[in-house]
Amino acid sequence: MLGTYFYHEILRKTVIGFGTLFNNINIRHKDASGTNFSVMKVPLAYGPMQKFLARIQQQPELEREIAITLPRLSFEMQGLQYDPTRKTGIAQTFIAKGGTTAKKVYMPIPYNVSFELSILAKLSDDGLQILEQIVPYFQPSFNITINLIDSIGEKKDIPIVLESINYSDQYEGSFETRRTIVYTLGFTAKTYLFGPVADDPAGLIKKVDVDYYGSTNITTAKRVQRYSATPLAKQNYDDDTTTVLDGAISEKVTKFKVSATTDLAANQRIIIDTEIMKIRSISGQNVTVFRAHDNTVAASHDHGASIGVLSATDNASIEFGDDFGFDEMSSFFSDGKEFSPSQGIDI
Amino acid sequence: MLNPFFLQGSQGEQGLVQDLINEQLRMYGLECHYIPRKLMTSRTIMKEVTESRFDQAFPLEAYLMNVDGYAGQGDILSKFGVRVTTEATFVISRERFEESVAPFLEQQEDDYDVSNRPREGDLLFSPLGKKLFEIKYVEFEKPNYQLRKNYTYQLTCEVFEYEDEVIDTNVNLIDEVVQTDGYIARLVLSGVGATATANTTLAFGAVQQIFLQNDGYGYLAAPTVSISTSPGVDATAVAIMTSRSGIGTAKSIDRILLINPGGDYVGVPTVTVPGTGIATAGITTLGSVGIVTITSGGSGYTTTPNVAITTAPSGGTDATAEAVMVGGTISAIRISNAGSGYTSAPTITIGAATSIGDGDYIFNETVQVSSDSSETARVKVWDSSSRTLDVSILTKMQFQVGEKIKGLESGAEYVILSVDYDTPNDYPNDQYKQNQYNDNADFETEADAILDFSEGNPFGTF
Repeated sequence: MLGTYFYHEILRKTVIGFGTLFNNINIRHKDASGTNFSVMKVPLAYGPMQKFLARIQQQPELEREIAITLPRLSFEMQGLQYDPTRKTGIAQTFIAKGGTTAKKVYMPIPYNVSFELSILAKLSDDGLQILEQIVPYFQPSFNITINLIDSIGEKKDIPIVLESINYSDQYEGSFETRRTIVYTLGFTAKTYLFGPVADDPAGLIKKVDVDYYGSTNITTAKRVQRYSATPLAKQNYDDDTTTVLDGAISEKVTKFKVSATTDLAANQRIIIDTEIMKIRSISGQNVTVFRAHDNTVAASHDHGASIGVLSATDNASIEFGDDFGFDEMSSFFSDGKEFSPSQGIDI
Repeated sequence: MLNPFFLQGSQGEQGLVQDLINEQLRMYGLECHYIPRKLMTSRTIMKEVTESRFDQAFPLEAYLMNVDGYAGQGDILSKFGVRVTTEATFVISRERFEESVAPFLEQQEDDYDVSNRPREGDLLFSPLGKKLFEIKYVEFEKPNYQLRKNYTYQLTCEVFEYEDEVIDTNVNLIDEVVQTDGYIARLVLSGVGATATANTTLAFGAVQQIFLQNDGYGYLAAPTVSISTSPGVDATAVAIMTSRSGIGTAKSIDRILLINPGGDYVGVPTVTVPGTGIATAGITTLGSVGIVTITSGGSGYTTTPNVAITTAPSGGTDATAEAVMVGGTISAIRISNAGSGYTSAPTITIGAATSIGDGDYIFNETVQVSSDSSETARVKVWDSSSRTLDVSILTKMQFQVGEKIKGLESGAEYVILSVDYDTPNDYPNDQYKQNQYNDNADFETEADAILDFSEGNPFGTF
């Protein structure tokens, strides 16, 4: 049942997003005259790690001459909890752009990830310096935007909520025991988990038909008119440039000379640089056009600029996320037929 | 009443016992160093010492009580990484301390409030494992008044927790204990450089300069500037971007410089800038600077040098250009004005590279930058082959690329090429090992790939 492999590394990304909030915290020590004598960047690491790595990396030479360097920041993920307050419809899907294809994704599942950030300080003043630089940013939450699934470019705002601050300072007791100052801050990152991302089987919508009926009686009404819309390419995808401008043109010229008209025809859409034109007529090597077609902007074009033909091939090559125009068509009927989605024809 | 015929410890007996103890300690003890803590700065209310110095070390024999291994929990993995919790108890001679340590401390009574006994907070360096111990508790009543006197101090110690204390005792074995520990910034320094050279040709009908009519906005990257073709040599140009205040993270065009002014243009060419920018070209039919060829990129540049071009003859326009520096070397010359009226190819002179870069920094010496910030730091590791200088105890964290940094003791002086404020996790020289607990840079790198800062804060930034 389950078992479609997917791994978006969302929890890892949430860990990185959380960690990066605290990777540039500095503390300062002042000397007796009040000037800084030492500025330090507080080292941060994700606490849990492979034990042998800890030993090899942090104690490469067995003889460790000192106990630890302070201060330090450490954090770890402590748990995951479903967040019913952010629940959306469980069967809802949305279509997202994944590269040049459409991807179908179920709505993300809201989960709260608990984090614990710990501050280990040698001096209580160090701990307070670090704490004061963190707490004011959380009111009680701080938002970061994480690109949770790169393949569909799904960016989510993840609020990081400061839930609690605990403080432990073991200073009482025998002189022989160590004094340890630890602040523990509890956070909740309100992240989203995504299920598998599949290619959308329906693909891109390439045509829309709207049928209008003569009455609202759904049993006896007959269709009267169909409005069809199909996308029109605004780019020369197949790069079919068989002719070029024979002389520079300004943005106002509607009749110009081209090097050859063999592949051109009236009513064809052509593209020069980024301007789309529609051919009105062809006479010898001269072409008369409508300028600035399909919401493009009329511009001057250089001598020798290539002329591309926007054909049905280009219309079929429109990719997800591209800019495109529409071709509209209205048909009128008196046949009483209906469109069958299963057969794709009128019956 | 005590028996008057017994002294329960005459001065002679006490002296004998002390001598025997001293002798035993010298036979069975360790050659340790006693390192007193100078309390430089203390804070009231919270009552803690925020600045300490350890700059003296007194050889002192001590007996290690832990024969079966150190006390404490040993090395443990905590959420803060590996932590050494080793504890040890040392016995030192009271007389030896009073004779060989206390008198020196008494002479410096301004620095040491208590000098006649070992003090908690001071350090004891043990040659076994080169461990640096901090004295936690000084027990002076064990054994308890034998012959009415105490002869030893029992020092309960734990391994030192290091932050930013200055340890500069002039005993290398001790000072080197923390050579790669604590917060460290890495500076890459420049050696003595070589000045770059370039030459050019004389061009006619070239684009003199490109005038920016509209600097545009909303550019995420520099747009590709195209110039219409010439019957001769095509001109090419590049846009230099800048951030304008109040226009978010996207950029505007600052200026457009010529990579190649081209030549043989008949009319004024068209300059096309994608997006919102608009620019036009100026043309010169008289002699101007052609494409500039770098004959030697030079080395050791820390700031972009000036480019000087010989002036045009009377009536002409002087050409101007800018250098492009990549990694200390001049990679290209961009022409801001190709000039006019030149009758022969002008000479191009690129500003000199740094001539500073000499000497070797000494471990633990103070280094200071030449600029107004007067930032100082202490040398941790200097690797002369890669010219990397690791420093700690920075006073400002404001090192600037291009400023000089001088060792106050060694006199070594170099120019800063790059600064990394993240504690390094590796060393060019295998001699040094780093206690790796520092993922700050890794988080930054990983987060850059997934965090989205393109949507600026609507409430503004500061």
